[in-house]
Amino acid sequence: MRTLSAALAGFPTWAQSTLRFPGKRPMLVHNDFPEDLETPVEYFDSWLTPIDKFFVRQHLPRPKADPAAYRLKVHGLVHTPLSLSLDDLRKMPQFKVPATLECAGNGRGNFKPKIPGLQWTKGAIGNAEWRGVRTADLLKRAGVKPDAKFGTANGMDAGVAKTPDFIRSVPLRKLMHESTLIALEMNGQPLPELHGFPARLIVPGWDGASWVKWVNDLELSPQADKGFYFATAYKYPNFSVGPGGAAKPEEMEVLEGMAVVSFFSKPLDQAKVKIGSVPLFGVAFGGENRISRVDISTDGGATWAAARLGAENFQFAWRTFSYDWKPAKKGHYTLCARATDTSGRVQPIEAEWNPSGYLWNAIDRISVTVEA
Amino acid sequence: MKPLFCSMTLTALLAAADPAAIEKGRAEEKRVCVACHGLRIIHIQRLNRGQWDREITKMVGWGTVVKEREALLEYLVASYGDDKPAAPLARSQDGTQKP
Repeated sequence: MRTLSAALAGFPTWAQSTLRFPGKRPMLVHNDFPEDLETPVEYFDSWLTPIDKFFVRQHLPRPKADPAAYRLKVHGLVHTPLSLSLDDLRKMPQFKVPATLECAGNGRGNFKPKIPGLQWTKGAIGNAEWRGVRTADLLKRAGVKPDAKFGTANGMDAGVAKTPDFIRSVPLRKLMHESTLIALEMNGQPLPELHGFPARLIVPGWDGASWVKWVNDLELSPQADKGFYFATAYKYPNFSVGPGGAAKPEEMEVLEGMAVVSFFSKPLDQAKVKIGSVPLFGVAFGGENRISRVDISTDGGATWAAARLGAENFQFAWRTFSYDWKPAKKGHYTLCARATDTSGRVQPIEAEWNPSGYLWNAIDRISVTVEA
Repeated sequence: MKPLFCSMTLTALLAAADPAAIEKGRAEEKRVCVACHGLRIIHIQRLNRGQWDREITKMVGWGTVVKEREALLEYLVASYGDDKPAAPLARSQDGTQKP
């Protein structure tokens, strides 16, 4: 029966063995064309996520960029429109920003009732060092006119058939922030094609949708873009609608900063561990806020104790946590991780259900069996 | 006991929708959806009839020319309905090594 239902579900085992994505370690595959690849949580064992383990989300088939022909255009409500080559961008002051990138829909697969879209479990998140030009420097160079309120970013990808183009607006206040970049490098390497070669907008603390890949156009205007990916998608109701509920369009707000989350990397859910000493390790992210504490429960949430936080502590970057667990008895245990950020936000027992399945952030929970 | 259970389940499954419609829907999926994206993104989801219907409407709005809409919907509900067990995510091979 198991084989039959697996076949009916469209997952023949031969297909799994032929999947391979150049430059990527084994990843959880949500789609193969265009690639949507989730990072298995066991790869979250270091503060920086290596490129070969970094998750991938693509709305549209990615473009093949010609680095020699590439130009970044900054135009619209500016005094001096810019058209900059990669060399021009490299000649400007370069800044390095460690920042965590998380898809707005990370964890969507955990919501009940189910919500259409990629069924990410926990791994549409990663932490990298991004290096490039400050958008504030570009805007100062172009000279923004007083009426401009938004910068609308477009990449070289284009919609197939009548699929809308992927275009996102970012308010001027965020574009003028010193950590917002047009990045050319990721973890010390040129951006790989899957991650936006040759240039990507980095909007630290905000949902991944804002981090426009293959970006080559930034237009300053008084209003935000009216297209699907800004005016309809990536919005969250301004009140809790309840599971399966709905909200009117005027009750939906554009997502900006991400929620407070944490994920265990070690041990894995359903792992068997030996009695005595069991190291727990994971990552915690607070969007635009730093992580101030992570608490661990090894008894299903009855009692809690503070985890040790990693030394790397930057706004916009996740923080690692560790805990030396010493189970004295064999048996089944439910382990929980609950992060708190510097604004006082704490992970809830249950994430708030919302129509598009964004910002899933329930207390992380895994089950392990301790063997004698 | 076990063979009986299997055949009963199978009967219930086949009775749920017209097999010919499901096959027609499966062929329609292969014909129209792959122009823009792989089928995996469909197959990982578990949605109810209304949700699948809205997904088809969205894709038609985005330029997909669907000729067998009813069959496509029957196939999606029968194969990837919200009453079906969650799809196991495939894990890719190591792409950092030469195959």
